Amino acid sequence: MSSEEMAAQQLSGPVTIFLIALFFGGTLFMSIMISKKKENADGYMNAGHNIGFGIAATSMTATWIWASSMYASATAGYTYGISGPIHYGLWGALMILFIYPFGRRIRAVAPRAHTLAEVMYARHGRSSQLMLAGSNVLGSVISLTSNFIAGGALVAMLSPFSFTQGIVVMAAGVLLYTLWSGFRASVLTDFAQAMAMLGAVVVIIPVVFYAAGGPGMFETGAQNLTPQQSNFFSSDAFLNQGAPYIAAVLAYAIGNQTIAQRLFAVREDLIKPTFITATIGYGATVIGIGMLGVMALYLGLEPMNGDVNNLIPQMATTFLGPILLCVFFIMIIGALASTADSDLAALSSIMMADVYGQNVAGRKKADPKTMLLIGRVTMIVATAAALYFASGQMSILDLLVFVGALWGALVFPVIASFYWGKVTNVAFTVSTLAAVAIFIPVRFEMLPMDTPVGLVVDVLSVVGVGVVLGLMSFGFFGLKPALWIGSIAALITAPFGIGFLHDYHVLSGSLVAYAVSTLVCYLMSFRNKESFDFALIKKRIGSFDSEEEPEKALDDNAPKH
Amino acid sequence: MSTLLLTGYVLIWPIIVAFVFYFLARGFLKDWSRARKDGRPII
Repeated sequence: MSSEEMAAQQLSGPVTIFLIALFFGGTLFMSIMISKKKENADGYMNAGHNIGFGIAATSMTATWIWASSMYASATAGYTYGISGPIHYGLWGALMILFIYPFGRRIRAVAPRAHTLAEVMYARHGRSSQLMLAGSNVLGSVISLTSNFIAGGALVAMLSPFSFTQGIVVMAAGVLLYTLWSGFRASVLTDFAQAMAMLGAVVVIIPVVFYAAGGPGMFETGAQNLTPQQSNFFSSDAFLNQGAPYIAAVLAYAIGNQTIAQRLFAVREDLIKPTFITATIGYGATVIGIGMLGVMALYLGLEPMNGDVNNLIPQMATTFLGPILLCVFFIMIIGALASTADSDLAALSSIMMADVYGQNVAGRKKADPKTMLLIGRVTMIVATAAALYFASGQMSILDLLVFVGALWGALVFPVIASFYWGKVTNVAFTVSTLAAVAIFIPVRFEMLPMDTPVGLVVDVLSVVGVGVVLGLMSFGFFGLKPALWIGSIAALITAPFGIGFLHDYHVLSGSLVAYAVSTLVCYLMSFRNKESFDFALIKKRIGSFDSEEEPEKALDDNAPKH
Repeated sequence: MSTLLLTGYVLIWPIIVAFVFYFLARGFLKDWSRARKDGRPII
């Protein structure tokens, strides 16, 4: 079935304007309701470290569900068949779940932190901090860009307005309600956005399913699927989609400041229920939306202009009536806005706390008023940059996988730095740079894999499998079980993976990044006779504008590693 | 997979989402009412 054969409909210009005005007007109203004439710099970054379960879990869910994840899940369903959405959404959900034990540890050692990079400064020093902050900035700008792209694509397909008009309106709307109150506005508006998204998913998926033919489509459309696409245990889906995401499970959570920000904002005893609820909410929503891609595959739908990012809007315009199409429109805007405002809040926090607060003014001399100004200017500059990049319309799924793998280089050094006192600043920095240096040629197929180099990549990938599973286990079960699980996983993978894994460059690039950073970091640290006193972190990090100051300022007590 | 299983596989997700929707809404309302009771802003 071609896109022309399917009866597509659009929202009229006035209806589109009304919906956008309703959505952004509502969020702006919520933001104004909580705004203060004199915002507090700490509140702008973390809302006082005392958010309750309802707001925190809703915000975590809304932030993690971005419009791009909806599009990407449907793309996975369309490309890899019935298991595709699982291989996108399940692992994405586990990113939240697997980070929570580490989150509890991070919060315990740094209860008053604003960013993860700030904690790295207190633990190691400037280079570690700036590497983590730099990767966080990269991730948030890419996330912001891809959400604007999703908004532009939505507007272009569902309304008479153009892609460019769409991205400009989305960017302006998000910036408007986030600019004054920062993280506080982001978190509160997440509630309305999450309710809109989740409510829409509950209604839209069954409606599209029955409008598209109901169970009968699985019989009439079965010939549209390859054997791999119709197999729930498809190796294609696992190796191309699922496995790189499993490898990225911890990387996304470590590399994403939006998660860290909520970790530092929620009341400490509510971290576990917040993360578990968000895991289930994200997983069910994103896998559910991915079913639209599976349905499109069974129906033989061809993506408009060959662009798989058009799949979800195409399904909506074809099978939803006018009212539900409006609901769908709000759902996608809710998904993109909730993540985009979090990215703006994350970027502003990094510039306020990591760049200005610690590297320009110094913690002692940092002026909260200047910090707020820097935070707001950052939001404006980041929005302009993301708009510029969005005009290039990059592939969302490729971006996600690339950044996730890049973050893999940071996972072991960051996690080890919170548990193992022997890790030094030099070990952190060198291991991360070494991992990135090897990741890039492997990921972009710049190495001759039919030579012994391919064998080395395979061996490192096998080690990477052990590292990934070992780290995942470590969070929940501790060191000994993690060592066992990681070692057994590597041994089981070795006979199958060696001579084979290098063919999957996305997966092997990511695994090699884990392996190299782990090996280098370990080898550079284990002989260190000094052990870091983790209690120092709590003393080195405090609020910027409250009466509570760290016992000793960082400037006077710089890490010596 | 049989037609029945595939149908269940597609429709189970909105059901789970409905449960999460309920828990999140209830949690938010609790936070809101607690903040009102204590006379402090919700965030």
